[in-house]
Amino acid sequence: MTSGTEHELMSLLRGELAAEEARELRARMRREPELAADYRRLEQTWNRLELPPPSPVPPGFTGRIMARVRSEKANGSLSWSSAPNWVRATAAASLLAGALLGIGVGRSWPTADASPSSEGAIAGLKVSSGEELSLAAGYWNLIVDSTTGGEPEGRP
Amino acid sequence: MATESVTAPAVDPGWEALAKVAAGDVDAFASLVESHQERLLRLCERLLGDTEEARDAAQDVFLKAYRKAADVRPQGQVYTWLYRIAVNHCLNKLRRRKLVRFLRLDAPADEDSPTFDPLDRAADPASSLEARRRWQATRKAIAKLPENQRSVLVLVRFEGLSYKQVAEVLGITEGAVESRLVRAMRRLEAAQEAESSRVSSAEGAR
Repeated sequence: MTSGTEHELMSLLRGELAAEEARELRARMRREPELAADYRRLEQTWNRLELPPPSPVPPGFTGRIMARVRSEKANGSLSWSSAPNWVRATAAASLLAGALLGIGVGRSWPTADASPSSEGAIAGLKVSSGEELSLAAGYWNLIVDSTTGGEPEGRP
Repeated sequence: MATESVTAPAVDPGWEALAKVAAGDVDAFASLVESHQERLLRLCERLLGDTEEARDAAQDVFLKAYRKAADVRPQGQVYTWLYRIAVNHCLNKLRRRKLVRFLRLDAPADEDSPTFDPLDRAADPASSLEARRRWQATRKAIAKLPENQRSVLVLVRFEGLSYKQVAEVLGITEGAVESRLVRAMRRLEAAQEAESSRVSSAEGAR
């Protein structure tokens, strides 16, 4: 069966099919027993779907909601959830921009495995023995270099 | 110049209440709550399958509606807008529920939602038991549907909304509503058939 026919059967069941189309589909079902059987199956499934009657509205329900609303109003508009959409969007955009900036800076920052010929901070990341240092140790060496004239005196 | 007679669509008075709320009149919100609480509670109960959780959810939905009062553009009926907030809220709750169960690794394979313990309104114990069995089967079958099919089914079958109204609530086309409903019905049909054969084989074994 085509999906178009399935949709028509469903619409017929729901009473959403135009009168003329409904007549044509019923006539087709009389000619095609398989189509009629499919319709009956759908109808049976539909009718078997039953849920219990909904529970009544509990007493004081409106009052509880209004108490929350009044409390929200009393607290003002400082909470994140009650902030207008533009405030949330601006905050989200700022966070994203900050994160992207952080990533950009991080990627361009000299790393510990840079070539030994690099200057400045990179040079401070390696000791003469070739042992690799942590970034913090590199910083320490740079500070020591600048204060002692180039002779590392120790690591933090 | 000829004047055209145009029938203006009836404006839902709920929008006026919301405009008052946006202007700072909190009490105007109470009338909106009273007008819509019954259908919103029912919708949440149908979607979540749990009465207590539905009550909390309906409260949250109204609170969200209050927060959005200043931003909303009056269009169509207020209940359509409220339904949209409710469906999104309940689907989020269902997703969180699945995630929590997944993280706790204790999800029962065939129980997606908590115990649905409806009020017993049946006349005698036998029919009460039968009704409970049918409700249970329906609830289980609905719980197994993908979210997008579940919301369409609940809105069409149990809330009695037209395809057009469901399309407005979910922000999809009427064609998409039809497709999801047909797919949901095919799954339910298969589930009902499987359940029937399971019951008959169990009875045969006795």
